[in-house]
Amino acid sequence: MRARLIIVGFGNIGMAVASTLSAKKRQLKNAGYDISVVAVCEAVGCLVDTKGLDLKVLTGAKPRWSKKLGTLDTIRDTEADIVVELTPGNVQTGEPGLSHIMAAIGSGKHVVTSNKSPLVVDYNGIMDAAKDVGVQVRYEATVGGAIPVLSTIERETKANTVKNIYGILNGTTNFILTKMDEEAVDFASALAEAQELGYAETDPTYDIKGYDSASKVAILLNTVRGQGASIRDMKIEGINRISPDVMELARDYGYAIRLVGDMDAKEVGPRLVPLDHPLNVGGSLNAILIESDLAQDITLIGHGAGPEPTASAIIADIASVMDRMD
Amino acid sequence: MHIALRDVPGMLVRALEPISSKGGNILSVVHSRGKGSVVGVHIIFRVKDEKTLGKIIAALKKGKYEVEDVQVEGKKYFSKKTISFLIVGHVIDKDIQDTIDRINELGLVRDVDVRMRDPEEESAVLMRVNVDSKKKGKLMERITQICENKRFMLIREVS
Repeated sequence: MRARLIIVGFGNIGMAVASTLSAKKRQLKNAGYDISVVAVCEAVGCLVDTKGLDLKVLTGAKPRWSKKLGTLDTIRDTEADIVVELTPGNVQTGEPGLSHIMAAIGSGKHVVTSNKSPLVVDYNGIMDAAKDVGVQVRYEATVGGAIPVLSTIERETKANTVKNIYGILNGTTNFILTKMDEEAVDFASALAEAQELGYAETDPTYDIKGYDSASKVAILLNTVRGQGASIRDMKIEGINRISPDVMELARDYGYAIRLVGDMDAKEVGPRLVPLDHPLNVGGSLNAILIESDLAQDITLIGHGAGPEPTASAIIADIASVMDRMD
Repeated sequence: MHIALRDVPGMLVRALEPISSKGGNILSVVHSRGKGSVVGVHIIFRVKDEKTLGKIIAALKKGKYEVEDVQVEGKKYFSKKTISFLIVGHVIDKDIQDTIDRINELGLVRDVDVRMRDPEEESAVLMRVNVDSKKKGKLMERITQICENKRFMLIREVS
């Protein structure tokens, strides 16, 4: 099966997707997925080649963007099957990803995205538009990075009723809390180390105040309950008030402190997690617990962020879209 | 313990069986037949610990016997849960006794552990509270409300 991609957003994740598609071309082809990239767009311009761009050249050198080609026109006018939307998003407006996704759907293209914002701002609008046109929208990478959370819910637990989903949905805060716990350092020092190692952004507000986890809770709610939830519907508490005293006191009573997002409670906040609880994972790992009636508790643990784990989830989504393409 | 039984031959013996088989030493049984088809039975028995009592109550409930009232040493017995939570803020300055008193209206604060490195900074307080299982939800609502009013950060146990 063949598919032609347009990659929108060529930062670390876009580069990782392109280089993985290049490095794993044979493996994917042997599995039945013949994937080419016919266009790549960035804020400064696009590159288009309907025969397929050379991914080795694309990832090996600084691309020479054609400034004449706008992203929305390229999405609409290029002959392609799937638009892979990977831009950073504005959680208030969903832009620019929302416009990219709607342009893709409007021109009959499937969508795979790692961008949370459009799904938090207008989930129902996107899904209704996709249904009308008959295209697929997949977004596994938005929740739990490489961890197959959404596909587990969608495919592996069909006969189950999901009772709730909760867990550690942000690797940056988990890294900071683990550091504070294990090395008895204060929040500022743990954050500085997370920034040095590239786990935290220069402006870490979105992660440490819990907004990133809340976006993921909203996406879970929208997916599982179809609620059209946004982060405005959430009760959010970050980790910035956690001190070494808090960590020590919790540990004395057999608990770790972890930032937990809870789908049905619509909450994100620090929680006491018993040391032997499956959600007590360290470092930048994510852990998600799905409570269901038949399978009961399923805990998924893995890398929630980073270019390669995210690329893994994106390429799995591309393959899933191809499995169902006419 | 007070149990309501249907007025059927053999029912009383069957109801007493789990009490002795799970480790209860029966001291007296008062059997009062009313006008209807239900018979009230007042049983006094001795158990070695609370765990044994729990097993007896569970066995009776499993056998669909209606356990109406249980008293231990003259006080009403309820199945307890212990909940733990941690609060962060100026917990001492904002009248910790009032916080405890308001929690005690619904449960019983059994542990309070305070960490305060510097009086200027926020302190961390871990509490453990015994509560009747049925009142757990109400107690959590009360604790959440106290924390909102006093601007504490509440860290609950993961669900």
